[in-house]
Amino acid sequence: MRIWFSASVSALMLTIAGLSLAAMFASGQSAAYRAPRTPDGKPNLNGIWQALNTADWDLQGHTAAKGPMPALGAVFAIPPGLGVVEGDEIPYLPAAAAKKKENQANWMKLDPEVKCYLPGVPRATYLPYPFQIVQSPENILMAYEYAGGVRTINMGAPTKAPGDSWMGWSNGRWEGETLVVDVTSQNDQTWFDRAGNFHSDALHVVERYTPRSADTLMYEATIEDPKVFSRPWKISMPLYRHVEKNAKILEYKCVEFAEELLYGPLSKKPGN
Amino acid sequence: MRAKLLAVVTGVGLLLAAVPVWAHHAFAAEFDQSKPIKVRGLVVKWELTNPHSWIHIDVKGPDGKAVTWMIEGASPNNLYRLGLTKESLPAGSDITVEGYQAKDGSTRAVGRNITFADGKKFFLGLTEAESGPAKQ
Amino acid sequence: MSRRPLLSMAALLAVVIALLAAAPANGQTQSSAPKAPAAKAWTPPHTPDGKPNLQGIWTDNTLTPMERPKGLGAKEFYTDEEIAELTKRARTGSVGEEGDLGAARQQAVRYDLELYGFDPSKLRFSPNKRTSLIIGPEGVVPPMLPQARERNAERAAKEKGHEFDSYAHRPLSERCILMNQERIPMTPGANEGNLLQIVQGPGYVTLVHEIDHSTRVIPTDGRPHVPQSMRLWQGDSVGHWEGNTLVVDTTNFTNLTAYRGSSEKLHLIERFTRTADDMMTYQFTVEDPATWAKPWTAEVVWTKSKGPVYEWACHEGNTMISTILNGARVAEQEAAKKAK
Repeated sequence: MRIWFSASVSALMLTIAGLSLAAMFASGQSAAYRAPRTPDGKPNLNGIWQALNTADWDLQGHTAAKGPMPALGAVFAIPPGLGVVEGDEIPYLPAAAAKKKENQANWMKLDPEVKCYLPGVPRATYLPYPFQIVQSPENILMAYEYAGGVRTINMGAPTKAPGDSWMGWSNGRWEGETLVVDVTSQNDQTWFDRAGNFHSDALHVVERYTPRSADTLMYEATIEDPKVFSRPWKISMPLYRHVEKNAKILEYKCVEFAEELLYGPLSKKPGN
Repeated sequence: MRAKLLAVVTGVGLLLAAVPVWAHHAFAAEFDQSKPIKVRGLVVKWELTNPHSWIHIDVKGPDGKAVTWMIEGASPNNLYRLGLTKESLPAGSDITVEGYQAKDGSTRAVGRNITFADGKKFFLGLTEAESGPAKQ
Repeated sequence: MSRRPLLSMAALLAVVIALLAAAPANGQTQSSAPKAPAAKAWTPPHTPDGKPNLQGIWTDNTLTPMERPKGLGAKEFYTDEEIAELTKRARTGSVGEEGDLGAARQQAVRYDLELYGFDPSKLRFSPNKRTSLIIGPEGVVPPMLPQARERNAERAAKEKGHEFDSYAHRPLSERCILMNQERIPMTPGANEGNLLQIVQGPGYVTLVHEIDHSTRVIPTDGRPHVPQSMRLWQGDSVGHWEGNTLVVDTTNFTNLTAYRGSSEKLHLIERFTRTADDMMTYQFTVEDPATWAKPWTAEVVWTKSKGPVYEWACHEGNTMISTILNGARVAEQEAAKKAK
């Protein structure tokens, strides 16, 4: 009788454990992690964060490939990556799909990252450089190391953008443990990655930042652009906290590294 | 011509002192005060970009062919604060622009005076008190 | 910014100044830089983590010149009447070295400022009625040391004749690398055109300039500077609180930053004290033993401005440098043709 009882209790406990595990895997995050709170009672996202993947090379799954400069050999070859797009498919409309191929074939000439242009959202999140979140009740500021990019997420009543910009216009709100950011009014000049994935000025991005442990966040972004894609699509990835002492985002004013490329042809020729 | 350029540079001076935001670059090095222009055409596009906005207008040359001029204006940040929006200068607007041409001879100019066909001045940034409500 | 009549604002300031003069610094440690007395008359609200709240969108537009007009000697403050008179003159463009009109001053060739949102009625002197931003009996930048003069003259001599050779010879502001309005120390202009937004989180104070979206994320945890071998355009800033004042210490500048001809030894100390709901005193001390014989200190009053701050991307839309360089190449070709 006792054996049967304990067996059924064990079975029940295993079932509960199994269901919890299933729930965890389904949501991709630790079950019900509750982040420490800021003094004003919100999940604390303050810190220096960075993505650890090759999304900036290519959002979709990709194998290792030769880099663009033979002289740099393996140092700047293209590393492999599993991709961050749910379903690994980016649903381009037919005309847009052709443009993507053209972009990819000419990426060194066309990718705005090469020129040190601001990356837009979500690319700013998964550039291979850190960014810092500074959280106040009224505003959540995200300062990106690359090109000194920055955006201030309005946490009050949503406001409207007067016009387009490189980093867009961000309105944020809390949904339980998750910071939800609605990003509109980005211009059409940025790309999603170095593989030529692009968008129009109708881009609408909804980001979700959910703490999954003391030193990780789960980042998801839903991308919608009826001029380019046939339906919304989603990327997701963890973001990792920089835990080293005195971690800091440093000045990365990359303009001077792009000048020879941009203005070299306008220099005085020797002998003139 | 080279001597003139050098004179301009010494006039502009080294950037040792703080210079107001308006003078973030040497006006005289980019535009030529000896090349005033006055062109009339239809607005093709109004680019609200920084550091300067640009009005693209198609100007009919004497041969009847349209030449696109780019007219430099204020930062959109200033324009937004004065109530202007991207609708304030719609495509197709018939405007006359007075300004100075770019030193490199391209069809680019800095706008000094912009008027609509009906004589109304298009203010790229006067306060409401001086120009009336932001209008087309 | 609310427009109060100058007289009642002056009256309010007179009260505040009297109280400031009477009260000793509150909880401030001794430091070598002369500083404005702490605003004991007004306690700022606090951020959720208990620090003085400096947040908001601020403007520092002022007609007050950096250096004191010659002839004023040690006079540090104007009277109400003097300020009213000077303001009237400045708004019609007829003011001398008492008012820095910036780009609004008469120039042979300049942008038509009317087209750029310039509103003369917004021109104002600093609410503290100082005769110059630089404080103290002299009110001017100390003379440059001979070694600094030589250093800068050498640099200018090397550049002479090459100013348009390439992008590398153009000013940092024309290249969109370092705009004048994003430089530190932060110095004002006549027109309200450069907004600063302050956002505070636990352990950090962030300053975001509208111009060039220049962002300084300043840690206030007492950490040391980055290694001396690291040189940055805007240096490396670390901060700490002294009572209600945020003190920011910046070193590690490059030798090309050259604020006012200074060297890589530039050391900047900035102090931010909110003195009213809509007012903040920004005081900075500049020292560089390779440039000036002694440090010098200036004080700027910031006031709240209506937001929001918009993106002001510079490099992405930079046509000025290509037009300027192209113009120089065209001029050379024309000169070469004429020579033939």
